[in-house]
Amino acid sequence: MAKSIAIVEDDPDQRANYADAITKKGYVVRSYGSREEALAGFDQQLPDLVILDIILGEEVDAGFQLCRDLLARAPTLPVIFLTERINEIDKISGLRLGAWDYLPKPISLDYLAERISSLLRINEVRAEQAETESPTARRIGDLMLDQDALLVSWKGERIDLSGTEFRMLAKLVRAPGHAVSYESLMNATMQSLVTNNTINTHMRNIRKKFEKVDKEFACIKSEYGYGYRWSNES
Amino acid sequence: MKLLHRIRGPRLGTKIMLLGLTLLVVPWFSYRQLVEMEHLLIQGQSNAQLLTAEGISTLFNGREDLFNDLPVTIEDFESLYANPLQNAIRLDGSLEDWGEGVDDKALRFGSETGKADGDFQLLLGERGGQLYVHMDVIDPEHVYRNTEYLRLDNADHIRLSFIRADGDDGRVSIVFSKPGVTTAYEMQPDWRFASAGPPSNSVQGFMQETEQGYRVEFRMPLSLLGSSRYFGLALVDVDDPETGEIRRIVQTLPTAGKESFNLVVLRSPEVLNIIQGLGYSGARILVIDPQKRVRAETGTNVSRNEPVRKDNLLENVQRWFKSLRPWVHWIITGEQWTPARSLTEDAAATTEIVIGSSLEGDPIALRRSLSETQEVIMAAHPIVSRNKVIGAVVVEQNIDEILTFQRSALEQVILVSIVSLFAVFIALLAFSARLAWRIRSLRREASNAIDEYGRLRIGELQREMYAGDEIGELARSVSNMLSKLQQHNNFLESMPRTLRHEINNPLNTLSTSLQNLAEENPEVRDSKYLESAKRGVMRIGAIVQNLADAANLEESLEAEEREDIDIELLLQSYVANCRITHKDCEFIYRGAGRPVYANVSDYRIEQLLDKIIDNAIDFHRNNTPIRVQLDSYRDHLQITVANRGPLLPANAEKSLFDSMVSHRGRQNRLHFGLGLYVVRIIAERHGGIVRAMNLADASGVAIMVQLPRVATEDESSELHEQIVPKAATG
Repeated sequence: MAKSIAIVEDDPDQRANYADAITKKGYVVRSYGSREEALAGFDQQLPDLVILDIILGEEVDAGFQLCRDLLARAPTLPVIFLTERINEIDKISGLRLGAWDYLPKPISLDYLAERISSLLRINEVRAEQAETESPTARRIGDLMLDQDALLVSWKGERIDLSGTEFRMLAKLVRAPGHAVSYESLMNATMQSLVTNNTINTHMRNIRKKFEKVDKEFACIKSEYGYGYRWSNES
Repeated sequence: MKLLHRIRGPRLGTKIMLLGLTLLVVPWFSYRQLVEMEHLLIQGQSNAQLLTAEGISTLFNGREDLFNDLPVTIEDFESLYANPLQNAIRLDGSLEDWGEGVDDKALRFGSETGKADGDFQLLLGERGGQLYVHMDVIDPEHVYRNTEYLRLDNADHIRLSFIRADGDDGRVSIVFSKPGVTTAYEMQPDWRFASAGPPSNSVQGFMQETEQGYRVEFRMPLSLLGSSRYFGLALVDVDDPETGEIRRIVQTLPTAGKESFNLVVLRSPEVLNIIQGLGYSGARILVIDPQKRVRAETGTNVSRNEPVRKDNLLENVQRWFKSLRPWVHWIITGEQWTPARSLTEDAAATTEIVIGSSLEGDPIALRRSLSETQEVIMAAHPIVSRNKVIGAVVVEQNIDEILTFQRSALEQVILVSIVSLFAVFIALLAFSARLAWRIRSLRREASNAIDEYGRLRIGELQREMYAGDEIGELARSVSNMLSKLQQHNNFLESMPRTLRHEINNPLNTLSTSLQNLAEENPEVRDSKYLESAKRGVMRIGAIVQNLADAANLEESLEAEEREDIDIELLLQSYVANCRITHKDCEFIYRGAGRPVYANVSDYRIEQLLDKIIDNAIDFHRNNTPIRVQLDSYRDHLQITVANRGPLLPANAEKSLFDSMVSHRGRQNRLHFGLGLYVVRIIAERHGGIVRAMNLADASGVAIMVQLPRVATEDESSELHEQIVPKAATG
């Protein structure tokens, strides 16, 4: 059975473009133009994945409210924010609500489709494996990285990363000890408009999340003027 | 005109204080008025006295007879001056009832010292037609008369000789047989026996013993002397009661043994009668004859007792004023202050002038000082008879009241002036200080509201906003301006964000539409137009993103966390990476050779370096190296990036780091002049500065960033080891 994807976006052109592109990938798409519409739709049936714009018509925080409502009903539901609000504070509050990813506009539809499929797969993997050790997991020193389940743990402790952050980290640890350039990190974000600054911000967020678990964490090193490096020696 | 513009006026406080100085006109004016009033009052009193003198003199006009009872010249005679007595005299040997100060007028006779046996002091007085005589005799061995003898010259006695009214010689001896009432006898020419048996009743006296001798006080009717008043007196001293031999005769006349007389000079009673009752309080009236003799006097003593000086505050203040007065007078009137006009020697001269002038026929009024604080006005008017001056009337009156009034008024004026000036000055000082402070603080706040790049720091003023006066209005209006400016600024600042927000949606539509279009129509997928459309979309997105980033830069810098970073290592690593990423450029790095720490956000420093290096690469001449240098100073470090190439345009040094200013020309349209603006903002947020300048040899440009450094410490070097890797890997 085809997975159902809900798109909440107030701009009809973009909504139609998303819907077209995603439908072509073989998903069932339900699109809504406002919060009320979306809520009514969710009442009938919960989708397998939700793509939310934050500003819906006059309501500037409608996306956040929807996210909260949805995750209250189904905590494992993958939610992606797809928005023109790219301020750091919005991103942080969106991810804090429990969204899986936060994507700024403009978006590449190919990347979007890829994300959707990976998130759906991850959700499936998580649901199947539950808490058992994943066979797809990779271990790099104290770091445990499960690419399929999008799970990261440091010294046995689970670390919550957004989709983008996960991909960047995965890129970084592909070859530990080797510097990874900004450019390849940018590609890893699967976003169309990324600056060094964006990478730095992401990296800082990742570092902070690790530091929350382990104060001594210092594996992510800056390569000034080039990029970043994962170093197993602290 | 230019010069005029350059000269600035005094400050507000100075102006107000200068205005306050105009208050000095009040004491100045008051003082002038006081001096004027004093003149007026004294003039008035002088005139009044002159009129009085004139009025009195008219009473005597034509009355030559009143002045003719004395010889015209008195040089031939030793005159005995009879003082007019105020009180009734009791004959008791005491001087108490003679009035104050009368004993100073006593005449001494006998030896030079006045202490020898037989010397005496003589005092004459006149009252009610009686001549009073008081004698203080020095005679340790006085001999009383033995009443058993008829002879009267064998004991101490007093001889009076005079010319009677009928022209005959008169001889009277006053003898005393015991202390107490004396007896007088008319004597024969040989002064031995009384001419007529019974004692004379007309001469009454009293004798009293003293330590050195005795005193005799007696009186005789003036009528006995007649109008000529020739009168002589002799003391006969007898020391041996046995022999009764006359030891010494002390006479009021120099020639002994000769019947000559003194002249008793009296006030003219008739004149006195006339002027009696005309005297008034504080005034003295004198009638003077052409020989300048006082013929009559009435009225009270013009001199008053000096008030006892007390050493209290008021007195001190008064004394202070007194010492101040000449200065005040000089400053205000421009005239030399002559305190109380003149003192004693001048006083005598003044009297001389007044009397002399009036006796020459000219009425005159002058001021004369009695003491430092007391002054009198002497007014004199001649008495005329048949075109001849036969005397003068002098009216003397104390102007103490005027002077006291003037003095106290002056003191008051000065005191009030000083106090009010002081008060007003304090008030003005406080007012101007407060005003200046308010204006200054307003100015400070207003100028602080906008930083050196013209950005608003605050949207409204806090100070003076509720003041009701003009400063408050100014503050409100400035605040209003600021808030309007802030609205406008907010609009401008939010513009890039709004723009991005608004553009991103249609851009997303465009982008997704293009992707869908390519998907739907595989034949256009490889079209170059689709590619260029996609590039265009990307470029718009990049532009909007850059703009928004720059606009948000300060805000996001605010939230940035800082750490102590070794800039030396950072630069080493950075330059090493530059060599990898920019293979067509040569980089030369000269470090400080030791760790140099700064409290920074390393991403931002990296961003800053990116922009500077980008700039240097864009402008460097091919095959020339880009030099990066780190210098460490005591409290700051300096990063210099220099490249050879075109120089900075003139005057560009300052504007180079402003937003949206680009000196690149048109060749690179993706730059908006945001790069160096970002450099400046980052440097400033880290408490540093950034400068651009042409190299000294004019071969290129250097951009210098100065950042405050932190002192090297062991723990910070450890920290740094964790953050910055030792070597860059390719």
